[in-house]
Amino acid sequence: MTQEPFITLAGVRKGYRTGSDAIPIFTALDLAIPRGDFVAIMGPSGSGKSTLLNMLAGIDVPDAGSLKVGNYRLDQMGETARSSWRAHNMGIVFQFYNLLPMLNAAENVELPLLLKPLSAGERRSRVAKVLDLVGLSGREKQYPSMMSGGQQQRVGIARAIVSDPKLLLCDEPTGDLDRKSADEVLEILALLNRTLEKTIVMVTHDPQAARSAKRTLHLDKGLFVEEKRAA
Amino acid sequence: MSTQIKQTLVMTRVNFSTLPRRVAISLSMVLSIALVVAVLAGFLAMANGFEKALSSAGSPLVAVVLGGGTNQETGSDIPADAIRSIQSLNGDIGVARDGSGNLLASRELVAPVEVVGTQGLSSATLAFRGMDVSGLAIRDGIKIAAGRLFAPGTREIVVGARLATDFPGFGIGDTVRLGTVDWKVVGHFAANGSAFESEIWGDVDAVRAAFNRQGQVQSLRLRLIEPSSIAVLRASLATVTPTPLVAVSEADLYAAQSGRTANLIRLFGWPLALLMAIGATAGALNTMMSSVSDRTIEIATVRALGFGRLSACLATWFEAVALAVAGAILGVIASWLIFNGWQASTVGANEASMGFRLSVDRDVMLTAGLLGLAIGVIGGALPAIAATRLPLMVALRARG
Ligand SMILES: Nc1ncnc2c1ncn2[C@@H]1O[C@H](COP(=O)(O)OP(=O)(O)OP(=O)(O)O)[C@@H](O)[C@H]1O
Ligand SMILES: [Mg+2]
Repeated sequence: MTQEPFITLAGVRKGYRTGSDAIPIFTALDLAIPRGDFVAIMGPSGSGKSTLLNMLAGIDVPDAGSLKVGNYRLDQMGETARSSWRAHNMGIVFQFYNLLPMLNAAENVELPLLLKPLSAGERRSRVAKVLDLVGLSGREKQYPSMMSGGQQQRVGIARAIVSDPKLLLCDEPTGDLDRKSADEVLEILALLNRTLEKTIVMVTHDPQAARSAKRTLHLDKGLFVEEKRAA
Repeated sequence: MSTQIKQTLVMTRVNFSTLPRRVAISLSMVLSIALVVAVLAGFLAMANGFEKALSSAGSPLVAVVLGGGTNQETGSDIPADAIRSIQSLNGDIGVARDGSGNLLASRELVAPVEVVGTQGLSSATLAFRGMDVSGLAIRDGIKIAAGRLFAPGTREIVVGARLATDFPGFGIGDTVRLGTVDWKVVGHFAANGSAFESEIWGDVDAVRAAFNRQGQVQSLRLRLIEPSSIAVLRASLATVTPTPLVAVSEADLYAAQSGRTANLIRLFGWPLALLMAIGATAGALNTMMSSVSDRTIEIATVRALGFGRLSACLATWFEAVALAVAGAILGVIASWLIFNGWQASTVGANEASMGFRLSVDRDVMLTAGLLGLAIGVIGGALPAIAATRLPLMVALRARG
């Protein structure tokens, strides 16, 4: 049975304008990611990895071409529609965690649930469940400033999966972590992919991080230049 | 609770908990709004106090008869034979009479006198009113607070309580030179803080003699039976004398005068306050723009998570309004502490100085406070919109 890919990019063009200069990043990018995949995207700085991830997250839009995630044509949706799509269909993990400093761990994780019609009790039990999943139960009341980078990133992952999206997008999730913390985070991501069947797209500079993924795509000068399958 | 409200609550919490990062600029917004509010409240309190002083001077039960084609005491002149004709009127002319059937009337004239103030520097023109002894009984709310009333035909005077405190040399027993002669102060009178408290009262004939205005009467004050009796009086006046005389209620007389001056104060105060408000609005805009850029990462992060634009917009706007409310409250409190009851003086009726107290009442506070609020509402609107336009890509780049 051939299944339609979960994510499909076809002929995507994207560039930025700075003043009068147009900087093209992608001219015709094609990509297909099946459901349940765990893809690492590598490439030199400025090759467009974050730009691609932003488009997959519905934060940015292609200038031309089609971008489909699940049943949604993100390239055809307006900002408000993409905003609500983000709330229900993907989780995002940032390099610098992006936790709100004034909220404690549980409150940070709860943020995406505020976008759903859930009772306070339901929200609390879901938050407890994902914090347990990332190994942080008991730290609900801690504020980001009292946590290590690795712990903060695990809170970030808990926040990304708390509303149970199919798609998880990570932009250099281990970029700011030491080896040990990075390995813990990667282990969690691999676990989420294996047991909860999350489709994960992870941008990384770290070859060791890429090894956690099922396959690695190399981006250079706006094109995927090689693909490596994990052994 | 709708998700929209929950989002806005979180964003509002972000706003207020990040406020310490913007203490200086937020404080400058609060203070500039407070200043605008206090300035406007000051002017309104002045107009308000002025109106109160004059409106409590006028009684609807006192008719003021004026002649010479004017409706103010200044410039009015009633011929002696007209006075005699009025006093000899029989029957009901709407005016109260004493036990022996005489009209309750007081012939009055006002002479401007120069008096040196407390500092020795500022001198003021005061109203020296000559009147019949009955002038006191005719008026409402006049009390001899100390001493006694002047005796008819003597160079004795009573002075308003406010005047006595504002100017030296008006203690009971003091002798004051007014016009060409010396006068003895025999009493102080209180008049509910009204404009009369800035006047000097003496015997009508003594005043006429001292200021070389023999035979002159500027106004005839009559005690009406009831406020509506003024119509009866007007009809009677038309029959007695060929001289055109007008009768106005004392309340209307002072209301007209207070209205003019109070409006003048407001006319000056409002544009000044509005001009300052424009400046403060620009300041508020600047403050809130920096608040938005200060919260860029937080806003972009939650927007990336799926939060809507409205929450960032409303929260920014709430912050602006909250700071404006703080400024308005501060301004109102400051204006109340500084201005309320503050003694001021101005040229009032009869081209003479008139003392009054600034009055910061509920209406003044409300009006000035609302202007302060408007500064936040307007100044915060554009930044609130700007908060919805932040590029979300910064969330992924920024070090939190
Ligand atoms: N908002 C923007 N405006 C203008 N140029 C941009 C913008 N965002 C990205 N770029 C440019 O687009 C190119 C690709 O940027 P992108 O962030 O996608 O690269 P990257 O592969 O993620 O790099 P890095 O490894 O350094 O994170 C870069 O040259 C960058 O300068
Ligand atoms: Mg990048």
